[in-house]
Amino acid sequence: MAGARCAACAAEVAAFDAFCEACGHELSQPAPAPAAVPGRWISSSGGPATCPGCGGSAFSVEGYCDNCGQRRASAKDHSELQLGALAAVTDKGLRHHRNEDAVGLGVTTSIVVGVVCDGVSTSTRPDAASNGAVDAALGALMDALDERTPAGDAIEAAARAGQAAATLAAGPDPGPNPPASTFVCAVVSPGAVTVGWVGDSRAYWLPEGDGVAACLTVDDSVSAHFAARGVAVPDDIPDSQAGALVRWLGADATDTQPHVHTFAPPGPGRVLVCSDGLFRYRSGAAELAAATPRADPLATAQALVRLALDAGGQDNIAVAVLPYPPQRGDEHD
Amino acid sequence: MTEQPAFRAEVFQNEYLAADATVVDAIVTVTSSGSGPAGAAPTVAQVIMIDCSGSMSEPSTKMSEAKRATAAAIDALPDGVKFAVVAGRGRAEMAYPGEVQLVTASARSRAAAKRAVTQLTPAGGTAMGTWLELARRLFTRSQAELKHAILLTDGRNEHETAEELAAILAACEGQFLCDSRGVGANWSGTELRTIASSLLGTADGLPDPEGLTDDFRSMTAAAMGKAYAQVTLRLWTPAGSSIRFVKQAFPHVEDLTGRRRELSARIGEYPLGAWGTESRDYHVCVELPKGAAGEEILAARVSLALGDEVLSQGLMRAVWTDDTALSTRINPRVAHYTGQAELADAIQAGLAARDAGDIETATSKLGRAVQLAEESGHTDTAKLLAKVVDVVDARTGTVRLRQRVAGVDAELANVRSVKTIRVKKTEEA
Repeated sequence: MAGARCAACAAEVAAFDAFCEACGHELSQPAPAPAAVPGRWISSSGGPATCPGCGGSAFSVEGYCDNCGQRRASAKDHSELQLGALAAVTDKGLRHHRNEDAVGLGVTTSIVVGVVCDGVSTSTRPDAASNGAVDAALGALMDALDERTPAGDAIEAAARAGQAAATLAAGPDPGPNPPASTFVCAVVSPGAVTVGWVGDSRAYWLPEGDGVAACLTVDDSVSAHFAARGVAVPDDIPDSQAGALVRWLGADATDTQPHVHTFAPPGPGRVLVCSDGLFRYRSGAAELAAATPRADPLATAQALVRLALDAGGQDNIAVAVLPYPPQRGDEHD
Repeated sequence: MTEQPAFRAEVFQNEYLAADATVVDAIVTVTSSGSGPAGAAPTVAQVIMIDCSGSMSEPSTKMSEAKRATAAAIDALPDGVKFAVVAGRGRAEMAYPGEVQLVTASARSRAAAKRAVTQLTPAGGTAMGTWLELARRLFTRSQAELKHAILLTDGRNEHETAEELAAILAACEGQFLCDSRGVGANWSGTELRTIASSLLGTADGLPDPEGLTDDFRSMTAAAMGKAYAQVTLRLWTPAGSSIRFVKQAFPHVEDLTGRRRELSARIGEYPLGAWGTESRDYHVCVELPKGAAGEEILAARVSLALGDEVLSQGLMRAVWTDDTALSTRINPRVAHYTGQAELADAIQAGLAARDAGDIETATSKLGRAVQLAEESGHTDTAKLLAKVVDVVDARTGTVRLRQRVAGVDAELANVRSVKTIRVKKTEEA
């Protein structure tokens, strides 16, 4: 006869066995629940191994090249990430001196996440804030999700950790203009997409098929705050200030509680988490959806970065692509 | 036992540079608590060079005050310190002991030295180089970690050339430290500054010999109170950069640029002499390769070192920016010491032009000096200048050269030209 198998380890067992010879499982019992697998995450943080200025490979403890003095960036100019079925790409663009955007991806058993932090370019060492924040936020987010914390609370924990890291990036002497970064994350669970943000990086919902695309976040900017209240930006605020950031993470930030918004996707689609380096060129959800190819996540992220570069690459670009419903997609990595 | 860091280095600068700017300035304030390295204070040797030229008898109080001052300095020597007294004339002679050697201070040797000093008689000329050379020979045989000398003169270095003095100073540099003092009315401020500058000491003039005793006592006490014998300023600068200058900016201006000793391709060090409980400011100016907006580089790492041990360090940075609101700011301390250095230069150039009979240059330079002294609130210097020029309007630097100036007033203005004051707190707000 075809041998019976142990429900726990799938070893062949004899019909009269009470316990599995291989793993000791009591055969009268059903298979145990699979042990929780801790979430995993990756990010674009991590400076280049050699100095882009002179090729030197020795750096002081403060992060300056021992030869030419150039500060070691907290991230590489271009990074591509893949984790399971998720992908992200970040690029320094064509005008900026270094990449101050940071992006990260995380997966748990049933939930996937994407985080983008955009260093505020007018602050000191913004890349230190954004890269520090993305790693701290992702770590905290994954820990919280592993403990089955609701997505909104997990995002708040992530923002707190990101704020702590951005503050630490200032060092012991923050100065008048300490490192600062935006923060946005999307937690994609079966049945719900929860987004949280501080600043003006965004998350978009791009449906498959005929559905309506939507921007899931509201920028923490002067103009967006007026728009959210349904009023025009007053005339006495110059255009140059209308887009100014009103909330951020960093040592000089006073309000870092993330906005949290939960969205129930009507069907399959994709969540894009991105910095203004991308959406400045396709700001509306419909036009961004129209410009986004129907390709696998990595090819999609690459194509969106290419779009921003072709449009001028004025700013650093970071974009994460998260398919919905969430797929762990472990077989790919 | 808890070890407090004895040294603290603070950097004051505007690190923001406009896109085409390449020069970065910083003031580094180094403050020592004086608690010193683990272990004892450095061992000390001191040589006192006392002018015994014929002019010391005119008036006679000069010689008697110089003897009293030397006796006070001898009394201030703790037991165990090695010392000697040199009688300076057209050549140098041992005043105490009789042989060319240092003696260990004790009640007995101090008394013997003071007896020998009372017997000194003014006669002969002035060749300070020979005095310094004898001091150098005395120190050569000493193992003391801190070698300190005091040179007292009442006149100009008439019996040797400036070149001869310069050659001897070059040989003495790094061998011992020397404070120089002028007494009476006929010494040269330039000569005293040259000696003190080469030998990392202080220079001053005392028109009234009665001040000598206190001054000698305090110079000796300061030397005995030094916790560190030989401190150096160590400077790392990036590849492609050049050092425009390294200056001590407080308590007096001292250009250290030419005293660099290379430690490696990127690191050089500059001797600072001995340190006690004190605070000094350094002005470091580095020229960098051009950078792009957003770029940040370490422009210099400024360390204080005792041998191979780094006691404290500060970082000078450069950040290029398109934001002119940031790049056009001038750090108030940098501005202040730039002005103080210009003040010293203006006084020295003005007095030199005055001596050479170039009235126009002298008036313009000393006028600028009066203006700078007024702006920075340097009232001591303003008072000295007012003895050399008639100030019409200090704010605009309008002055007239005085026809009758006591020689010593010009020399005092010269010897004290390098003394600086610190920026007032209100200016930094």
